[in-house]
Parts: sequence; C-alpha cells; structure tokens
Amino acid sequence: MLELRHLSRHFGGVKAVDELELEVRQGEILGLIGPNGSGKSTTVNLITGVYKPTAGSLHFKGQEISGLAAHQRTELGIARTFQNIRLFGHLTVWQNLWAARVVRQGGWVGFRERWLSGARAAREQAEELLVFGDLAHKRDLLAGNLAFGEQRRLELIRAAASGAELLLLDEPAAGMNAEEIHDLDQRIRLLRQQGRTILLIEHHMELVMEVCDRIAVLNFGRKIAEGTPAQVQQNAQVRAAYLGTDEIDQSKPSPEAPHHA
Amino acid sequence: MDFYLGLAQVIGIHTLLGLSAWCVLHTGQVSIAQGGFFAIGAYVAGMLTSMAGWPLAPALAVGALAAGAVAVAVGFPALRVKGLMLVVATTAFAEIVRLFFFNFKWRVQTAEGLIGPDASLGFGGIRYFPSHAWSTLDVNLLIWALVGATLVVLAWLDRSRVGTLWRAVGEDELAAQSAGINLTAAKVSAFGIGGCIAGLAGGVFAHYATHIEHNNFGILLATFAIAYPIIGGLSSLAGTLLAVIFVQGVLLEGLRFIGDWRSLLFGALIVAVMLVRPSGLLQRSLGLGLGRRA
Repeated sequence: MLELRHLSRHFGGVKAVDELELEVRQGEILGLIGPNGSGKSTTVNLITGVYKPTAGSLHFKGQEISGLAAHQRTELGIARTFQNIRLFGHLTVWQNLWAARVVRQGGWVGFRERWLSGARAAREQAEELLVFGDLAHKRDLLAGNLAFGEQRRLELIRAAASGAELLLLDEPAAGMNAEEIHDLDQRIRLLRQQGRTILLIEHHMELVMEVCDRIAVLNFGRKIAEGTPAQVQQNAQVRAAYLGTDEIDQSKPSPEAPHHA
Repeated sequence: MDFYLGLAQVIGIHTLLGLSAWCVLHTGQVSIAQGGFFAIGAYVAGMLTSMAGWPLAPALAVGALAAGAVAVAVGFPALRVKGLMLVVATTAFAEIVRLFFFNFKWRVQTAEGLIGPDASLGFGGIRYFPSHAWSTLDVNLLIWALVGATLVVLAWLDRSRVGTLWRAVGEDELAAQSAGINLTAAKVSAFGIGGCIAGLAGGVFAHYATHIEHNNFGILLATFAIAYPIIGGLSSLAGTLLAVIFVQGVLLEGLRFIGDWRSLLFGALIVAVMLVRPSGLLQRSLGLGLGRRA
C-alpha cells in the first residue's frame, strides 16, 4: 500500500533517515520502533509531507506522492496523529471531526453535502466514529477542555474521519496508564477490522509486540531489522541497539530477520 | 445631533474595518495591510463616481472587489511567512499602497471641473452624497445597513464549514494540513473576503469624507483595524462592534477634554485587555452576541 524507496532525509550533516526501504502492506498493523533519535518521527513527517525527502521516493497505492503537499496526501488516504497531541483546542469535539471530514464532503461550501446522497452517509460515519471514540456525549465540548485520554481518542478518530485508509499513529500510548493502553490496543484492532492499515510508531514495547503483525526496527536512520514480533525480539542487532551492547558488528545484516521479508 | 451622526458614521466604517481584520485573524494571521485595502476601495470607488460618473452601488461594489483581488494577490506571497514576518511584510505592503497614492496623479475634466487624485494634494471633489442631496442620516442608514449585512454574512460564514476551516487553520496549521485542509485556500480566502470588506468600508469613507489623501491610510488605521477584534475577542462578531464603540465613542470622543493623552490611553487599553482578558472582552464563557457557537 505504501512504499518507501531509498528514502533519505538529512539535516545538515545528520542523516536522520538514510536510504530507508519500507513497505506497509494493505490491512496490516506494522510497528515502527527504534531508540530515541533513530528517525521514527522523521519518517512519519516524510510520509505525511511535513518534510520533503533529500533523496528517494514515496509511493502510495502505486502513485508517487513525494511531491504532494500534506493536505493532498490526506485526501489520497494517509492521516496521522501527533506525538504531542495537536487538536483544534477552541473547536468543539464535533467540529474537530467536521474539519477533517470536509475533505471528503464536497469541499468548502457544501453543495455536494447538502444536495447529494453521499452526504448523509458521511455524517453518519462521523457519528459512528464519535461513538467508536467514546466521545458522543462530549460532542459539544471544546476539545481543549477534554481529559488527556479523551484528547488522544479524539485525535485518533479525527485522523480516521478524514477517510484515511492508512493511519500513522505517532506514539499514541505516550503518557497512558495500563488500562488506557489496553483500551488503545482494542481500538487499533477495531480500526484494522474496519479495513484500515496502520503504521504504529511506539516506545511501549508490550503494546507493539501485542498488536503488531510485523515490526520494523530503525537505528541511526537505517532499518536494522524487520519481521514478526517474535523474530524481531530474537534479533541480536535489535538487542544491541536497545541495550547498548557494542560487541556485535552492526554492519552485517542479521540472519533471523531478512530485510525484505 | 450632527455630532452623534458623524460619530455613528465613523463607528460604522471602523466596524467594517475591524471585521475585515477579524476574517484574517481567524486564520491565525496578523495583517497590517487592511488599511491598504481600505485605501484601494476608497480611491477606486471615489474615482468611479466622481470621474466616470457611475452610480454609487456599482462603484462601491467594484471598489470592494478591486480591494479583494489585491488582497488575494497579497495573500499568496504572504502565505510563505508567518507571525512577525507577516506583520513586516503586510506593513510594507500598506506603505507601498500609501506611497502609490502619494504619487498617483490622474485628473480628468468633468462637468464640475478638473477632478481626480492629485498626488500628495489628495483626491477631492468626491461629491456624490452632496450632489444627490443625501443627508447625514441617509449616509448613516447606508453605512449601518452595510454593517448589518456584513455581520449577517460573517455570522453565517462562521457557522458554516468555512468558519470551521478558518478556525482550524488558526488553531494549528500542521494539524489542519494533516486533517486534509488546504492551507492556501483557507488563508487566501480569508485575505480575499477581508480585503473586500475593507474595500467596501473605504469606498463609503471616500464618499462621506469627499476629500481623501494618502495620510488617511497610514499605519495607525491598520493598527485600529486589528485592535478592534483583539480587544473585542475573536470568538464573537459583536465583540468587534463593541470594541469600536468603546474606542471611538468613549475613548476618543468622550475623553476629548484630556486632549492628546487619549492616544496614550488607547495603547494602555490594549495592554490592559491583554493582561485581564487575553481572549478579548467577549470571551466564550460570557456567551454574548453573534457568532457564538453551541
């Protein structure tokens, strides 16, 4: 569904992302992990169009999207959440969804929404998402006044409301307690059941190992491993990257985790 | 009575000017260019009635559209800069407009003599109101009808998806983009609509002033324009109107006896509002006025 080909982004001399090859397959939950500063967030910013790549290209559903603006990528079906929650704080819960929904709904003035039949379906879909995010009873509250967990849920359903087929979740479990993380786990699975593909960037290993079908591991802007959670857990290079062991020669690819599985 | 009618004219015109800045501020942009758009509307509408002999309504409409078109043209490059840099860029634009009219000379022979902008001497003889026997009351009715119509249109816009989009962009540009909102369209439309409203206000101003000159359109005018919605609060349109009444009616006219110290009070007022009510006089929690959302 999404392919990153030789994708690089350099900031001066720093290779934040370097020659990254990654494929997100239709319908999967792919985890993207790595130590701090390994290039995860830069990768998300490259996919969503916040940064332009220094080299390489991005392809979504067969179409090259490297040159598209951020909102155009959302229109094509890629949406994201943010590591530090970014809601429209002075808009209501419903308006937050509405702002994202507008893309799919006949543009600005809303003729299509008002006069054509597809519109009601869109509104109903947004209503369903409100229920899904457990926020239906708070629809008229200002987003900025919601509790932390509720804000995270709103951000998640706002991304889904844009009609995205691919959701990039940038550390959605940050700051959550065990119960909330369990809740998030369930929601991510449900989103996939609804036919969405998910790229999960996360530090919380239990969640990643639990929910992901496959995991890719970044270190120093490069992919050092890719495979099922079990494969990745066994991978010596991954252990080295996380535990800081430097006995292992990092230049050799590890046998347990083939690069292009 | 005449004093109050004259004051009501000023309040009406400044309300339109404040509303034009309100549109742009909604998308999180601070524009000092509103005085420039006001000037363009004033000169274009004034030239159409006095030099080309047009009726008032089409002249005002063309003046507003011309200002709006220039605003859209300014909006595109202005997209590339934010915050302070946008303030600097729009200030420069406002000065360009003012200096253009400082140098612009184009006079034609009409039945009433040689009429037209005369560079630094200004543009006199915009005598549509006197020659059509409009009283000050008539002019007031026209101004307040326009203010009312603008308020209704903006209240409707604010409740429609356009308002939601503008606010979303004003809240967080990055999040808005990620939600699929086209930043260019949102910002340029706000500039364009704001420009039209400023141009309309300028057109009416030119006609009741009958003589306009570059000095009318300096930075002070633009400062007033953005001060109103900031003092009144962005969450409600009525706040802008109240702020104009307060600044023009109470502060500038009511305190005339203290002389030029009034200008100082204006600055102090903005500082005080920022300290005491950072979201403006009419905050959401007060729940007053137009444009408030459920």
